Amino acid sequence: MGQSAPRPPQSTDAFDKLYRDHVDRVYRYAHRLCGEAEWAKDLVQETFLNAYRGLKQFRGEARVSTWLYTIASRACLRMRRKRKGAPERELSLEGFVPTSEGEFRLQIPIEGLTPEQALENKQLREALQQAINKLPKKYRMALVLRDMEGLSAGETGTVMGLSERAVKSRLHRARLFVRRELSAHGLAEDLRRPQEQRRPKEGGS
Amino acid sequence: MSRKKALPGRTRSVEPPHHAPGEHRCLDILRQLSAYIDDELPEDICAELRRHLGACPNCEVFIGSLRDTVTLCRHHQPPPLSAYERAQLREQILRTWKPKARS
Repeated sequence: MGQSAPRPPQSTDAFDKLYRDHVDRVYRYAHRLCGEAEWAKDLVQETFLNAYRGLKQFRGEARVSTWLYTIASRACLRMRRKRKGAPERELSLEGFVPTSEGEFRLQIPIEGLTPEQALENKQLREALQQAINKLPKKYRMALVLRDMEGLSAGETGTVMGLSERAVKSRLHRARLFVRRELSAHGLAEDLRRPQEQRRPKEGGS
Repeated sequence: MSRKKALPGRTRSVEPPHHAPGEHRCLDILRQLSAYIDDELPEDICAELRRHLGACPNCEVFIGSLRDTVTLCRHHQPPPLSAYERAQLREQILRTWKPKARS
């Protein structure tokens, strides 16, 4: 809401405004996509360089943030090609149908914890990031934009150049993939221990 | 709109209460779980899904863990940039940009 189109740059002032207003968001997105700080910083640099060069062409039809997400996503795809990221593959829905009762009933052991409390656990945070990193990039991008950055399916489609339907299909497969990775990770013991430490039994002393 | 939550214990069902893993019905359910979580399904399909989930412990556990996955993703925050890193990045971008801008 209410973000107006930036004017073509005359000096570093225009850059500074764009940078100041959006660098934290772009970095957060980059970190979620790349999974590590140094790579994320490279992506932030690439994104702002491209944004600054393209500022004159930006017509303000999209929100500035959507425009930056689009630039960052394209830059990420280019960087991943150079860095030989995980091979691209399709995730088929059939591949996620549990084949045993045990597989069906795998759970993420966070019962009784708020999401914030659960994510205080380093092992869970790392398992989540690893699961996201293992996703083929087109699925990862849909998950990050939709479930982590909070864009709508329509906005995610604009950024990725996809229909809403295609976004939803990719998002669903990405969630199923991450669910399987997390629930099969054997996190139970480590998640319960910190919870007990945080909440010692009452009534003792 | 009613909350789309599994109703354990309600087994009034027109379909078999349990399905074997890998059965075709599983795939039908599995296909729609994200739309169900995101509240995007028409009410009649939701009602059918709720009936199935209430009757099938396997699917109920499955959707619970999928919901947890989405919740964790929504709350996961990477470490923010420090003020120093923010300033350093800005310098690097401007240094890279300026020589190219002159040529």
